Amino acid sequence: MLAGRAPPGAAGCCRRLLAATLAAGLRPLLRGPPPCWATARRAAGQWPSPGLRVPEAAEAERLVQQVQQTSVAVRRFIACPRLARTVQRCLQSGASPGSPPVLLECEPGPGVLTRTLLNAGVRVVALESNPAFLPNLQSLENSLDGQLKVIYGDFCRLDPLVTGTLKPPAICSEKLFETMGVAAVPWRADSPVKIFGILPQSKERLRLWRHLFALYECSSIYRYGRAELNVFISEKEYKEPWSSFLTNSKNGGLAIPKSVRLPNDHLCLVRLTPQQNLFTGGLNPTNSAIFIFMVKQCLAKPKSRLIDRLNSWSLDNSSQLLRELEIPENAQTRNVYPEDYKRLFEALQNTNIFTETWWHDEIFETVRNINL
Amino acid sequence: MSLLRAVLPGPGRLRGAGIPWSILRSYSSASAKEKAKRNATCERTELLEVLKARVKQLQATNVPEVTVNKVELAPVGNEKYQDPLQKVVARREEGESPARPSSWVQKLKEEMHIQKLKMGQTSPIAASELALEAEVEDKAKDKVKGKAKDKKSLKTPKTKVVAAWSQSHAGSHGVHGKPTVAAVKAGVKVPRRRVLDDKESSQFKILQQTVQSNLECFLFLQQPEEAERFLLMYHRSPAKRKLLNVSAYNVVMRSWARKGRLQRINRLFSMLERAGLRPNLDSYAAALECMGRNPFSTKAIWRFMQQLKHDGFHVDELFQKCLFEEDEKEKVLKAIRMIHPNYELPPAPSSQTCNSSLLQDFYSKEKMLPYPKLDFSAQELRECFQKQLELEMNNTITIESVESSKPLTPQALKARKLLATLRSQWHDSVLQALQKSKHNMSKLKTASKYNVLYPYLCLLPEDEYVGIMLEMLNTLSPQGESLAVLAKELGSKVYNRYITQRKLHSGQLEKLREVYEDYIQLLAKDSQPAKYLPREYWEKLVAEAGFGPSLTLKSCSWSYMLLMRLGMHMLELLVQAVKMPRNILNPRLEPRLIPALYHIYSFRSSWQVGLIKPHPVFSQIMSDAAETMLTFNSSAIPMLCPPVPWTSPNFGAFVLNDTTLMRFVDGAVQHQLLLEQCPLVNLHPVLDALNQLGNCAWKINQPVLDIIISIFNDKGNEKLDIPPPISEAPMPPAAPSNPSSLNKAQKHELLLYKKKAAEMHSLRMDALYKLSIANYVRDKVFWFPHNMDFRGRTYPCPPYFNHLGNDVTRAILLFAEGRPLGPKGLDWLKIHLINLTGLKKNNSLQERLEYANEIMEEILDSADHPLTGRKWWMNTDEPWQALACCMEVAKASRSPDPAAYISHFPVHQDGSCNGLQHYAALGRDLIGAISVNLMPCSVPQDVYSAVARQVEELRKKDAEHGVKIAQVLQGFISRKVVKQTVMTVVYGVTRYGGRLQMEKRLKEIDDFPEEYLWEASHYLVKQVFNGIKEMFSATRDIQNWLTESAKLIAQSGRTVEWVTPLGLPIVQPYYRSKSTVLNCSMQNLSVKSTSSNQKPDTVKQKNAFPPNFIHSLDSTHMMLTALHCLRQGLTFVSVHDCYWTHALTVDVMNEVCRQQFVALHSEKILQDLSEFMLEKYCSPDRETRAPWQKKLMEQLSNVPKTGELDLKNVMDSTYFFS
Repeated sequence: MLAGRAPPGAAGCCRRLLAATLAAGLRPLLRGPPPCWATARRAAGQWPSPGLRVPEAAEAERLVQQVQQTSVAVRRFIACPRLARTVQRCLQSGASPGSPPVLLECEPGPGVLTRTLLNAGVRVVALESNPAFLPNLQSLENSLDGQLKVIYGDFCRLDPLVTGTLKPPAICSEKLFETMGVAAVPWRADSPVKIFGILPQSKERLRLWRHLFALYECSSIYRYGRAELNVFISEKEYKEPWSSFLTNSKNGGLAIPKSVRLPNDHLCLVRLTPQQNLFTGGLNPTNSAIFIFMVKQCLAKPKSRLIDRLNSWSLDNSSQLLRELEIPENAQTRNVYPEDYKRLFEALQNTNIFTETWWHDEIFETVRNINL
Repeated sequence: MSLLRAVLPGPGRLRGAGIPWSILRSYSSASAKEKAKRNATCERTELLEVLKARVKQLQATNVPEVTVNKVELAPVGNEKYQDPLQKVVARREEGESPARPSSWVQKLKEEMHIQKLKMGQTSPIAASELALEAEVEDKAKDKVKGKAKDKKSLKTPKTKVVAAWSQSHAGSHGVHGKPTVAAVKAGVKVPRRRVLDDKESSQFKILQQTVQSNLECFLFLQQPEEAERFLLMYHRSPAKRKLLNVSAYNVVMRSWARKGRLQRINRLFSMLERAGLRPNLDSYAAALECMGRNPFSTKAIWRFMQQLKHDGFHVDELFQKCLFEEDEKEKVLKAIRMIHPNYELPPAPSSQTCNSSLLQDFYSKEKMLPYPKLDFSAQELRECFQKQLELEMNNTITIESVESSKPLTPQALKARKLLATLRSQWHDSVLQALQKSKHNMSKLKTASKYNVLYPYLCLLPEDEYVGIMLEMLNTLSPQGESLAVLAKELGSKVYNRYITQRKLHSGQLEKLREVYEDYIQLLAKDSQPAKYLPREYWEKLVAEAGFGPSLTLKSCSWSYMLLMRLGMHMLELLVQAVKMPRNILNPRLEPRLIPALYHIYSFRSSWQVGLIKPHPVFSQIMSDAAETMLTFNSSAIPMLCPPVPWTSPNFGAFVLNDTTLMRFVDGAVQHQLLLEQCPLVNLHPVLDALNQLGNCAWKINQPVLDIIISIFNDKGNEKLDIPPPISEAPMPPAAPSNPSSLNKAQKHELLLYKKKAAEMHSLRMDALYKLSIANYVRDKVFWFPHNMDFRGRTYPCPPYFNHLGNDVTRAILLFAEGRPLGPKGLDWLKIHLINLTGLKKNNSLQERLEYANEIMEEILDSADHPLTGRKWWMNTDEPWQALACCMEVAKASRSPDPAAYISHFPVHQDGSCNGLQHYAALGRDLIGAISVNLMPCSVPQDVYSAVARQVEELRKKDAEHGVKIAQVLQGFISRKVVKQTVMTVVYGVTRYGGRLQMEKRLKEIDDFPEEYLWEASHYLVKQVFNGIKEMFSATRDIQNWLTESAKLIAQSGRTVEWVTPLGLPIVQPYYRSKSTVLNCSMQNLSVKSTSSNQKPDTVKQKNAFPPNFIHSLDSTHMMLTALHCLRQGLTFVSVHDCYWTHALTVDVMNEVCRQQFVALHSEKILQDLSEFMLEKYCSPDRETRAPWQKKLMEQLSNVPKTGELDLKNVMDSTYFFS
């Protein structure tokens, strides 16, 4: 994910906005040669490899095909054993010393990755929403000595906002964590849980947004600490679109005809871990919704100047404020660093614009509108 | 040279039928290798064939301006006379890489297709395109050569043309997509297509329209110099010149003609020629007007007259076709008489009569009765007209709201005082901001920076702009309003005032007043009876006065983009300028000016909407002040005199306010174009029906209004549909000091409260508007002018208060005309009352009457003590109308002779499931017909119960076979569960939508097991569809046939069009919307633009066709009934499928209604539709016929079979409409 400057560009502003807000709170997944995981494996809490046979791609495909007919939503599964091994190495990379956290695998389906992980000695909790896959997984669970736990539930319908009793596969995080046997840890502690999943492409951005809100509010899975999310998301949500770059074409167009445009049809594995120091400044879980709202307002028209936005919020000393924060006065909102937005927010908290003016009404509405 | 080119039709003039988009997409994908294999001669012959075919089509389509024969004759080898397309072909042959022939065929087809969609374009544009091309070509050659050196593919001559085109576009306007290197590389075809697209693009049209309206502004402002400077700006730039068409030059000519400057006009004529355009009638009219104004030598006049004839026009045409303003006509006549002293104006064209078989009786002169008189003398009507005129001249009207009777609190007094000071400050600051922005704009005179908005900010006095902007502040709801809505509102307000001003200045109003004063003779009780329809009488008067077509304004519409742009500019000024002290309510705060309005984004799932909201402090002051004056547009008030009769799609209804005959969604122009192309005589029945509905006079039922207002001003009553004031809203949970400290549940609760409050506010305001307007006209007689939607369903024009409204509004309306009850009138009143209660739906009329007599005591009690008595009326379906009816029944029954009692009360007759009635009649479905009362029965049939029974039977069978869900559903299937789905089947509800409806109904049943909801609703909707299919077997076939036909038509790239049996042309306005981004400093607005070249939205075209078709039939039935009721001397109005008349005439109306239904369905409706579509979408003389065409033809000719029903039975069916 983006480490530094919020990307410039005209189009895809919603995407950029998401990236910027994410970046303020999350540490990007570092890509590089995996550290010596072979040694880490022998550390405490590792399980010996059960030596399970991992089904071949064709076999997995058959399994999926049989089941898929009963399911409505489109889902993706890892079928290729090599991909599964790569993912498994990624998941185990960067592990800090000490006992590795439990890994929650969402929608394992035919269980190719599950077996690979188990073989690598990882303790896995499988969260499966399709009852058709459950028998296979459960028999696997029974064949092992507690290394695998299978839960019926849908990660996409975790903590739904509707009131009333939950109908499975919808599931609430309290129950999930209780079953997993994971207790809440302080924010600054290490991740209590790793989560792996493949984000469905319908409403993908909205799902990411929801995670963002949960993260900043420390609700849902983030109530238990800095949960580490490893997700496959589509390339377009992750990579820079061409429109983000300046071109020398006069109308600012793509300068690339649509016919030769590169397709954005890859999924990228992204690791999202909330930053330890997220709540050290003036930001805290109770006022974070205001922060998100503020950034959204700023980036709704990314080419506008930050100072114009500030002025429209009935601030009278906005230029002084920007000077103090060392943000150039003519900065466009898209060029402001995520960290600077955080500092801006902290500075604005000292003025009373958030409480005095119309802000809180609007924030309510935004929170409501983000519900899936 | 240029003249010759002008004569040749360019590619812009060709029209033809469309081909499917799938073919269009594939044509460019042929590989180069493949192309090389084909030989050139083959290509050439095929091209000729295609051209021939094209010519044939053109001749068939019969477009008057197109001169087609030249295309055919143009020899391929003779470069001089070729159109650019052929030129490319010719060069291509010389070059090394011949194209694949079939791609040429397809390309031509594609062009035809584009041309076909173009419709309204006129030939001059095509000509200009040609001339322009020649210029650009020459110039661009050198430029391209430089570039071409690097790239081999650019060296062949054919690409030069392409590059030239590309260049011209690159230079023209930034908004067009730039051609790219890659596009040029790709070869001839791609850029060539681009050019056509560009020409046709909505951007281009919008720009062209904007140039035109800009010039019209200067004409209006009488600034010919400015107009000419603006014109030259475009004329001089070869790239921009193609935005000019002949009417643009004409506007400038007219502004010079007004000053009598002949040299200037001569110069413009030569400019026209240089631009390769031909002068048209309007150009000559302007020249002659100029000479009439400022007598020159007769030689000059002679010269122009010669040229006029040379161009193929006739002098008489000037007076038949040109729209003159002010004294233009007299001046033209004067000029002509200088050389032909005995010239006489051509006689007015004799009026034609509609020859629809349905209306032969109606239009036959022998059977015609004198037009019914109103209860007004000519003098009184003249006064009414004067009042209406004054109202419309003021544009807005400020009336007291019904809340004004409440006492004022000291707090309100204080807030009002505060508001008054703030407003005067705002007025000054907004005025200043406006002046400043105008000043800045006026300095930008260069072409590149020219601000198109400037002239539009000069049209009205500055104070009017300020007034319009400040008005908006008063009506802004505390929840805010989307930027786009506000911008459109502001823009249209300016436009409407400008139109009013133009009508005043052009003398149109004076002429209209003259005609109207005579028109009154048709309606006034103290004048001679006349055997004319209002439209005929009006036309006769116009002809007698010799006004010709000059009562209509020259078309002067502003593009939607322009309206938005203007509105956005005003909105920006407003947000900048309107400020107030922050400490106004809380003196402890430091004083500082803050904006009273702010701009904010609201996020709705993945998109964002810009809102303008009032600052909470401002909202607080507004609500404290509780102002009781309401300002409305004058068109929101019912008319105070009989409406001006519709005589054409552009003329009728209000005196000054601009009204269109057909309502359309923003920016859609297709309907208006279609109506204008349609021969006027075909529209006569529709126009006459609208006039008939509009001529019904109304008055207020004062006692009922008073009761409603008393409840409204008290605490409202949700049960009686009187929205309570905001103060009655549930209190919010304890106001939090820090909003972020709330927990989730509290936040949720607060949100619900806010939502409820917002809903209450809007309901309350709506009711306030309606009641206040009703209160304003309480002592007057008033009229609702009507127009229609694109399917012909009619609506009253004033938006808030009209008879289409809810129970409350309907209850306060009475016919102004009174009629005695007659022998059966009282009975009808009583039956009507029982109908309004919703009781006894399944009983016969006699039983309903008996029931009414039984409960007479309750009725009288309700009438006498509505609020203090036993309140029987409150527990009915339509309580307010029931109360009004109780009062009428009480008065009538207590009068000494009820039969002689004069009643103003409208009695309604409802079509039971009217959509299904039309379907059943179309398909002659016997069982279906019985269930929707097309067959005589002793008691009314209820289709919903019938379907419920059918479903229950199917369920029983399934349950016996052990189907689980069928067993679960035992005892849950009722009329209520199936009603909504059955009702909406007519309107094309799908399984998906039907299931959702079912789920809702089942959820309402408390003891239904929740876990079965999905499965049960799924099962039920399937069974309902099956049930309907059995009862209405032909109906389903017809529906499927309509859907499938629409699908194929839309897939072939065209919109579904048809003509109602009354001759109204209909086009479905569903297109794949393209949005254009409007860059404004505050926010970028994405504006949906519609233009005729857009691809249709297949899904919408398909799904909407069956319901739209049925609606077009029910509107036809209504219009037929209206017209024939007029012949019987009845008062008649309608709310779609609910017909109203006096109690005396209910029986006659029912008779007419049934007769017309039978007459309508005795026409071969589906056969006619099939023939019309076959003709329209697959012309038989087409030489090449693709498989899709065959498929479409098969589909269209395969009209579904019908059942056994004998329609005559409808005549005896009492409950058909009841």
